[in-house]
Amino acid sequence: MNDPYQVLGVPETASDAEVKKAYLDLARKYHPDNYHDNPLADLAEEKMKAINAAYEQITKSRSSSGSSGGYGYGYGGGGTARQAGQSSSGSSVLQQVRIAINSGDLSRAEAMLAAFQDHNAEWNFLRGAVCYRRGWMDEAKRYYTTACQMDPGSAEYRQALNYMENGAAGAYRPGGGVFSTEECGGENNMCSKICCAYLLCNGCGYWGFCR
Amino acid sequence: MFGYVLPPLGGLPQEERTRFQTAYCGLCHTLGRRYGFAARLILNYDFTFLAILLSEGTPSVCARACCPASPLKKRCFAEETPALELAAAESVILAYWQLRDGVEDHTFSRGLKYRALSRALRPAYRKAAADCGAFDAAAREQLQKLRELERAGDAPMDAAADIFARLLAAAADAAADGTQRRILRQLLYHLGRWIYLIDAADDLKRDRESGNYNPVAVRYGLDGGVFDELSRSEFSKTLDHSLHMAATAFELWDFGCWTEILRSTIYEGLFQVGRAVLDGTFHPGPFGKKKEKIVEETI
Repeated sequence: MNDPYQVLGVPETASDAEVKKAYLDLARKYHPDNYHDNPLADLAEEKMKAINAAYEQITKSRSSSGSSGGYGYGYGGGGTARQAGQSSSGSSVLQQVRIAINSGDLSRAEAMLAAFQDHNAEWNFLRGAVCYRRGWMDEAKRYYTTACQMDPGSAEYRQALNYMENGAAGAYRPGGGVFSTEECGGENNMCSKICCAYLLCNGCGYWGFCR
Repeated sequence: MFGYVLPPLGGLPQEERTRFQTAYCGLCHTLGRRYGFAARLILNYDFTFLAILLSEGTPSVCARACCPASPLKKRCFAEETPALELAAAESVILAYWQLRDGVEDHTFSRGLKYRALSRALRPAYRKAAADCGAFDAAAREQLQKLRELERAGDAPMDAAADIFARLLAAAADAAADGTQRRILRQLLYHLGRWIYLIDAADDLKRDRESGNYNPVAVRYGLDGGVFDELSRSEFSKTLDHSLHMAATAFELWDFGCWTEILRSTIYEGLFQVGRAVLDGTFHPGPFGKKKEKIVEETI
C-alpha cells in the first residue's frame, strides 16, 4: 500500500491540522461534485478512495482511541445528485438511455435518442446530458433550457440548467478562487479577495455536498 | 489558431521559469535537428505546452548550446526524448496545416505570406508526416471537415469547435498508457475547444470585415463584431465549462516536475488570456512573434 503521507502530499512530521487541511483540499478537488457527469469520474473516484483510506490510516495511527476523524467524502450514496439514472423515466426506452449514459456508452445513448419520436422534456434533458459529456457545452445548455420550458416543475432539469447557467464558478480551484474567466482573468486579480466571500457561502459547492 | 496557451511566467518562481525555458529550448532544438531550420520558426508556447503534457514527469536531462536566439551565451535545453520527438512532429503537422488553412482562407495576394511560409515548411512537414502518419491523417481529416463546415457557414458553435478539439485530442493517441491516453484526450479536447472558441472571439471584428464565417458571431447573432453584455457572459461561461473539464482531467494524472507550470497555466494563464480576448486587449503578433519577446524578457 502507498505511504498515506505521500498520498496526502504532507511530510510525516505534519501536524494534525496540516494533515486535515491537505485532506480537505484533496477531498474538495476529487469530490464527486467536481466530477459530476464527467467522463473521467471513475478515475476521480479511485483517487477519492485512496485519499480517504490514507486519511483514515493516519488519523487512526495518531489517535490512541483508534477512532478516525469521521470524514470520508465519497462517491455513490447521494454525492452525485445529477446522475442521469436517478429519476424514474416515463418510458422504458429513455430509461435505457439513462443507463447507457451512466455506463459511458454515449454512442448507444445517442442512437436510442435519435430513434425516439417523442421529443418530450425528458428526451431534451437526456440529449443535454449526452452533449455535456461529449463536451458540447453550449448545446447541452440549450437542451436543458428546452427541457425546463417543457416541464418547469422538474427539479432535475432545473438543477442541470442552473449548473450550465452558473458556469463552473463553484468548481475546485487551487487556493480556493472562483473558477471563472470573468472573475479571475483581470489584471488586478480580484479573485482571491472575492473567493473568500464566495467560499463562505458556497464552500460546499453548487450541489450542496456538505455532510 | 495558436498563441493563446500562455503560462503566467511572471508569477512563477525562477525555478519553474527555468524549467519551462528548458522545455521550450528543448523543443526548438528537437525541431531543428529533426526537421531543419525552417521548423524552428514555428516554435511557440502552445507547442511547448503540448510537449510538456506528453513528457515524462521526470526533470529533463540538460545540454548546453548556443543558438540563433542566444548566439553568445550557451543555454540549457532539454535533450531529446520520445515525448519531445512526438511533440515536434505533431507541432510541425499542426503548423503546416494551419498555414495551408491560411492560404485557403485568403485571397491570392493576401495569402502570399501563408503560401511562402507553407512552402518553406513543406520539407519538414513531409518528414513529420512520415514520422507520425496517424496524426497527420487525423489532422487532414478534421481540417477538411472544418473547411466544409466553415464554408457552409451555419454550423452550431459546438460542432465547429468539436472538430478542432478532436484534432488536438488526437495528439494524445500516441501515449503508451491507456489511462494516460484517456486523461490527455479529455484534457486536449477541452483545451482545443477553448482555443477554437477564443480564437473565434478574437477574430470577431476581422471576420465581420472580411465576411468570413465566425461560429461565435453566428451563435450569438453578433452583427457588429462585438459582444453585448449578455452574450459575453454566456460565452465566458461556456469557456469556463471547458476549462473546468480540462482542469478535472489534469488533476487525474501525475505530471511530476511539470505540475506547477501546467497548473498555473490551466487555472490562471487561460483565464487571463480569455479575459484579455473578451476585453479586446489581447493582441498576439503573427506566429507568436510578440510572445517570443516575452520569453526573452521573462526568462
